[in-house]
Amino acid sequence: MTVAAGDVAPRVKTRRGTPLLLVLGVAALVAGFTLPWIAPSKVAMSLMAQSLFDALLATSVGFLVRQNGRVSFGQAAFFGLGGYVFAILVARSLVTPEVALVLALAVPTLVAFLFGLVVARVTGVAHAMLTLAIGQALYEIAFRWRELAKGDDGMSFDLPARLFGLPTRGLQDPAVMVVLAWSILVVALLGLKLFSQSRTGQIAAAIRDNEERARFIGFSTTLPRALVYAIAALIAAIAGTLQATYNGYIAPQMFHWSLSGAALVMAIVGGAKFIVGPAIGAIVLFYIKDLAGQFAEYWPAIVGTVLVVVTLVMPEGIVGLIKRIGGLGQRR
Amino acid sequence: MTLAIQGIGLTRRFGGFTALDNVDIAIRQGEIRGLIGPNGAGKSTLIDVLSGRARNPGGQVLLNGVDVSRLTPQQRRKRGMARSFQRTNIFPELSVEQQLRIASWAVEDADTDEVMDELDLRALADRPAAEISYGDQRRLDLALALVGRPRVLLLDEPAAGLTMEESLDLARILRDLANRWGVTVLLVEHDMQVVFSICDQITVLHLGRSLSEGSCAEVRANPTVIAAYLGTEA
Ligand SMILES: Nc1ncnc2c1ncn2[C@@H]1O[C@H](COP(=O)(O)OP(=O)(O)OP(=O)(O)O)[C@@H](O)[C@H]1O
Ligand SMILES: [Mg+2]
Repeated sequence: MTVAAGDVAPRVKTRRGTPLLLVLGVAALVAGFTLPWIAPSKVAMSLMAQSLFDALLATSVGFLVRQNGRVSFGQAAFFGLGGYVFAILVARSLVTPEVALVLALAVPTLVAFLFGLVVARVTGVAHAMLTLAIGQALYEIAFRWRELAKGDDGMSFDLPARLFGLPTRGLQDPAVMVVLAWSILVVALLGLKLFSQSRTGQIAAAIRDNEERARFIGFSTTLPRALVYAIAALIAAIAGTLQATYNGYIAPQMFHWSLSGAALVMAIVGGAKFIVGPAIGAIVLFYIKDLAGQFAEYWPAIVGTVLVVVTLVMPEGIVGLIKRIGGLGQRR
Repeated sequence: MTLAIQGIGLTRRFGGFTALDNVDIAIRQGEIRGLIGPNGAGKSTLIDVLSGRARNPGGQVLLNGVDVSRLTPQQRRKRGMARSFQRTNIFPELSVEQQLRIASWAVEDADTDEVMDELDLRALADRPAAEISYGDQRRLDLALALVGRPRVLLLDEPAAGLTMEESLDLARILRDLANRWGVTVLLVEHDMQVVFSICDQITVLHLGRSLSEGSCAEVRANPTVIAAYLGTEA
């Protein structure tokens, strides 16, 4: 192919094939088994597990930004919902543990899908406020309705002995949970990548880019959008269910807007334009917080500073910066 | 005489203001119809009503004799009606090729290569639309409408902002496609040279009403048209 003469450097297309993606995925999965040995202590391992839950939640909100161009301040709603549905159903033995798990993932996904259908056309501040309202409404319910799950005290619960025939004891062992959460994160990222390359994913990207034109080239724009909300919520619900399982405990804070906001910051710091960006942002911020140690009480100020620096210096986040540096290197 | 597209009693109000007032228009299969008139005459509004962009307009739109008045824009697109926009309306972050490919999925995976070749977009295939020149974006906008060889094409000033040379080029491409694909075109255009060079018939809108309709010669000779529109060009 000839490139038109001009001052623009030729754009080399590096469309990574699906096979390469799968190889990377398998490598990442295998690498996950080394995580328990990397961590110097049980506490470190536990922190690692927590950072992976954060990474999943950040991935969820980042995906919404990337695919739908919508900012949510309430993604924790689906995180909390996943955790609560699972914990309550299990604690009260209302259904079998397997059904509880399926519902814990299905309910938030379905709620988000319906939400997506309704708010498909709502943008900007109005959209942000709606998502905030949903998260806070659920928070208030969890906080005030003591009979549901002990209100603001939060509720401990015992895991069922077995889930899908497998013993569940390991789920509260940090070494096991780290590997499990990492594996789920890798599979989720792969899944999102494949979705974004699929027809529906590309149509969703076109709708994000220019909804009006998408309609006039012949697409209904509501359904692909709602689907993206649903997928994002599914990932948040997985994270919430994992965290509830690991801690054997749920609390209203799982719905709180501060958690949604933190996830959004992680996504932006890592680079919401990229599927892996939010997860990387989550992990980086988590360890910065850990390093901050004695300064932890100033954490909000630190996050604020990081956010300002990122927005000004690297608007496409950590991954964007890495790609840019890589791109400069390639140009020689 | 087969009518490709027909509007009957088309009316569009904005509050108390009537932008389009009971306009009838009927275009034969394969015809290129020019739509002219001063700024604010209602040309874009007419295209919005025909294409389904306007919500709840008055009147009826028939596509190949079938009433499509109640259909959404995407349904009309699938039935062979496509449009472009006065203000460039493309997918800025997607590459030229990707957006044309996506557009083809809505119309039975139509061939995108032919559109890229006809509109000379091949060399830009991998560039994000936001990065290409304005003239190229205008051709991309048109290309998005052309994917799948629509039967009726509603074009709102496709040459707006182009140089004289580019406009005439575009006119030639349109004439050529209309002949080869048998596509019916409604073309809004301010440049009389372009209009007179490619249009079979012309409709003149003025203050939301159809002022005159006929061949180039008839319209050019019409004293009311000269008074309302052409006179101001000189
Ligand atoms: N959304 C709207 N709300 C209120 N008035 C509108 C709206 N859209 C168009 N109008 C008015 O309707 C009239 C017709 O507008 P229209 O855009 O159809 O004109 P036009 O013939 O395309 O003009 P131009 O040559 O400038 O593109 C104008 O007076 C315009 O101000
Ligand atoms: Mg106009």
